[in-house]
Amino acid sequence: MLALLKIEWLKVKTYRTFWVLFGAFVLLYPITFYFTANKYMETINIKSDETNMLNSILGSPFVFPKVWHSASWFGGLFFVILGMLFILLITNEVQYRTHRQNIIDGWSRTDFILAKFSVMISFIGIGTILVFLSGLIVGLVLTPSNSTATLFEGLSYIGYFAAMAALYLIVAFLIAILIKRTGLSIIIYFTIVCIVDNLLWVVLTLKDSQFGYFLPLEAADSLIPNPFKPKMMERRTVSDFSLLITAFGYITLFGYIILSSFKRSDLKT
Amino acid sequence: MSILSVQQLSKNYGYIHALKNVSFEVPKGSVFGILGPNGSGKTTLLGIIMDVLKPSAGSYLWMGKPGSDEQRKNIGTLLETPNFYHYLSGADNLAIAAAIKGKGKENIDKVLETVNLLQRKNSRFNTYSLGMKQRLAIASSLLGDPDILVFDEPTNGLDPAGIAEIRQLIIQLSYQGKTIIMASHILDEVEKVCSHVAIIQKGVLKTVGTVHEILSTNSTANVQVVEIASDDIKSLELVIKDMPGVSAVEIKNGTLHIITDDSVQASSINRYCFEKGIVLNTLLLKRKSLESTFLEITGNQSDR
Repeated sequence: MLALLKIEWLKVKTYRTFWVLFGAFVLLYPITFYFTANKYMETINIKSDETNMLNSILGSPFVFPKVWHSASWFGGLFFVILGMLFILLITNEVQYRTHRQNIIDGWSRTDFILAKFSVMISFIGIGTILVFLSGLIVGLVLTPSNSTATLFEGLSYIGYFAAMAALYLIVAFLIAILIKRTGLSIIIYFTIVCIVDNLLWVVLTLKDSQFGYFLPLEAADSLIPNPFKPKMMERRTVSDFSLLITAFGYITLFGYIILSSFKRSDLKT
Repeated sequence: MSILSVQQLSKNYGYIHALKNVSFEVPKGSVFGILGPNGSGKTTLLGIIMDVLKPSAGSYLWMGKPGSDEQRKNIGTLLETPNFYHYLSGADNLAIAAAIKGKGKENIDKVLETVNLLQRKNSRFNTYSLGMKQRLAIASSLLGDPDILVFDEPTNGLDPAGIAEIRQLIIQLSYQGKTIIMASHILDEVEKVCSHVAIIQKGVLKTVGTVHEILSTNSTANVQVVEIASDDIKSLELVIKDMPGVSAVEIKNGTLHIITDDSVQASSINRYCFEKGIVLNTLLLKRKSLESTFLEITGNQSDR
């Protein structure tokens, strides 16, 4: 799969749009996270009764150990940029029919999908490393030296981020392969990610039902809840582990649909 | 063993039968032309053998084995339109093709030279003219020096000089022993270059064989084309249609091209017309050509 990734690299290394979007994620996320953290800590350090209470309710989101959670959540917000980029890379191939050319030149249908999958893994890897580094640096800078937290507490959130990234990208992959048109795919993707998913969650978690947590994107989103939401408002009772299994299940299911759809289809626009 | 063996290939799009039970064999070392009107299924056929389209029924074998990606890496193909990455240069696009094939990286410059595109190799693909795009596609098919080439309308978009160059290139490649499969509707080119031909119309294979066979024995008898004209073309057309031995009549550029048995003499045509009150001002026996055979077999209309 490394050989396939190298060829994908040849496709994007001089593609300006790729660098703009990729750069946007790589720069905007850590910078925004750092400045938000900084601003919050400045406000907190004014040391009034209100700020102390606020900080304890929120659980000190920008110091260890909660900083891992916050970094992952922030990462999730920005990661849709990479989701959009991933859609673009795939729909471009369909629109310009270069996917046909790849097959004609000698890739199998599976090779093509695996090549894109290798790009997906790279995005997950880079995103996860970035989240880790952001959490680490912000945590080191802002945690007061008398804190008793260790570096490794709460690190599981980084793993949850990887799962979330994977789920976001496989949904993007599925939409791109099925819809095939760039504009429409991106619109549908954002609609699902921002609106539909949340609406369905609201509907399905009325009356304390836990069903909503098992919707595709929600499964991963719920592993990394909004760090600014006080813990007592958390209504989820199903375990983290069950959500991870669900996420993994969806990734496998969508992956299977993508591969079998592409293997059987005629390669026209 | 045939290079390509096509067995009962069919392709349906809903109610449209793009291909119906097409079967033929492509011998090694031949230049095999696939002729047909627009819409006859040529590109569909090539799409299927290159695994871009899935057949509804039937199968094909490359060198006795079912199609696979390993085989495709050793076949140079130009299918329909040139499909390249618009934002990449010609040379970069070829680099990707070479990487997928696993060969040919070292002869990128050489193939660009062969198609006369070396001086524009670093320009972006979206700055190329139609002819340049076509030539880049041909260059891509030559990467790695494959023994089998599949060309779908290779001269599409080329000016006369370009057409002549590609014709020369194909002849040269065939002298090197390569097998070339070429879809076209430029009958003149096919006649000059191909050793074998298959004629397809409305998805059905009408005839297949060497060019010589097709020209000498077509669906009916031996034919010839005669060009005639008079001052009143309309009356001439009405009169000549009824002449025994005349199988088709077409008006072209102010003259009539008629297809007759070659037992019909020019003098008989002359006499027949005169006896019907028409005086000919042109009477020309044309060399039998693939074009006339083709038109006779397929009729004069593009497929819908």
